[in-house]
Amino acid sequence: MDERLEKALDFSNYALTINNQKRNIRNRVAQLQIVHHLGGVFIADHETIAFVKTLIDLKHKSSVVIDSKNNPITVKSLKELLEKLVNAYTSATTEFDVENEKLKKSRNIKKIMDW
Amino acid sequence: MGEILAPKGVCFFAYNNDQLDYVKMALAAGMYVKKNLKLPVCLITDKGSESWLEQSQSKKHIKKVFDYIVVTNDEMKKNRRRHFDSPWTEFSAQFNNSNKHKIYQYSPFEQTLLLDIDYIVKTDVLLKYFDSDKPVCMFDRATTVRNELPALEERFLYDAGIKMWWSTVVYFDRSDFSELFFNTWSHVAENYEFYQYLYNFPSKLFRTDYCVSIAIHILAGMQNEQLLIGNFDNTELVNMSQKDDIIEVKNENEWVMLVHDQREVWKNILVKVNNQDIHVMNKRALDRALPEIIEALDAN
Repeated sequence: MDERLEKALDFSNYALTINNQKRNIRNRVAQLQIVHHLGGVFIADHETIAFVKTLIDLKHKSSVVIDSKNNPITVKSLKELLEKLVNAYTSATTEFDVENEKLKKSRNIKKIMDW
Repeated sequence: MGEILAPKGVCFFAYNNDQLDYVKMALAAGMYVKKNLKLPVCLITDKGSESWLEQSQSKKHIKKVFDYIVVTNDEMKKNRRRHFDSPWTEFSAQFNNSNKHKIYQYSPFEQTLLLDIDYIVKTDVLLKYFDSDKPVCMFDRATTVRNELPALEERFLYDAGIKMWWSTVVYFDRSDFSELFFNTWSHVAENYEFYQYLYNFPSKLFRTDYCVSIAIHILAGMQNEQLLIGNFDNTELVNMSQKDDIIEVKNENEWVMLVHDQREVWKNILVKVNNQDIHVMNKRALDRALPEIIEALDAN
């Protein structure tokens, strides 16, 4: 086989493998960002965290918040929800960062597999 | 219904056949549950499989993993299942699953997570569903280890049919709705041939996935969209196909897999699976990896 093509196919395999690993990490992060609170399902993302924090800043202690499934949830303690959201966000992004750093340093398939 | 002995727990059905040691796989899957969910485990099996479990596995392991063992005596439907072990090897074996709907009766728990013995719990993600307000939860979406959609017949009951729900992981409580759901599942299972005609799904294998999909469709007013049954927050069931293989167990959490391409089966890629619950459909591959997996779990 032409050496140039062989190298291109090697890189193609590497790209396929690393992209798949990245998708796996993103799926895991998305799972970690799901927060269940008082029967509602919230996503610990920037928007939800900022919205709940805004309500707290505007001196609301409790509020009806629409969850990710479009259901109204009476949140008795916004502070408690914010704490849960921030905890989930932090643990998800920390894991994301660790795994992503590992992948960034992996320049071939063997490195990705820790071989 | 049997006696409720604990508030929360995990159940496995395991009936051995002449090809596959289901109780051994249940033991390993149970070890993962103990490690990551820290919940009591109940094995539902028959006399023969229980006796094989006692002969083939150490008492220490059995005692450590299974808090409860329920021995059943149900007559099973003749159900030959075709299995693959990589794209190049196949075999068939009797698949005993026709009493799965009886879990409502057999489970000793108030809130139950029913797992297939090839569902490996590597995270604690499922724990949060014990606090959910849904009486029943199952996956209605799946993905391959390559992050691709599964084949069409794994998504719909037929090309223009209703969507398929997976009975691999079933969470349920003891509400009236749960009882209604399991009674409907039982009705569909008992009238399988009729529903096969009505819903046009393939005839060869008795699949509980079809039974639950039809039960949900009926309870939802014959619509695909419904709000009664939870779908684990729209997350996906990650399926390792029967044509994929486990090639290395680095530790109990980290496995390396050889994953085939659905269109060109010889085109494999390597995938490292960690921190991810996974449905290991190639049972021979799981069986081959079990000694290393059990050793790694024991070391912890």
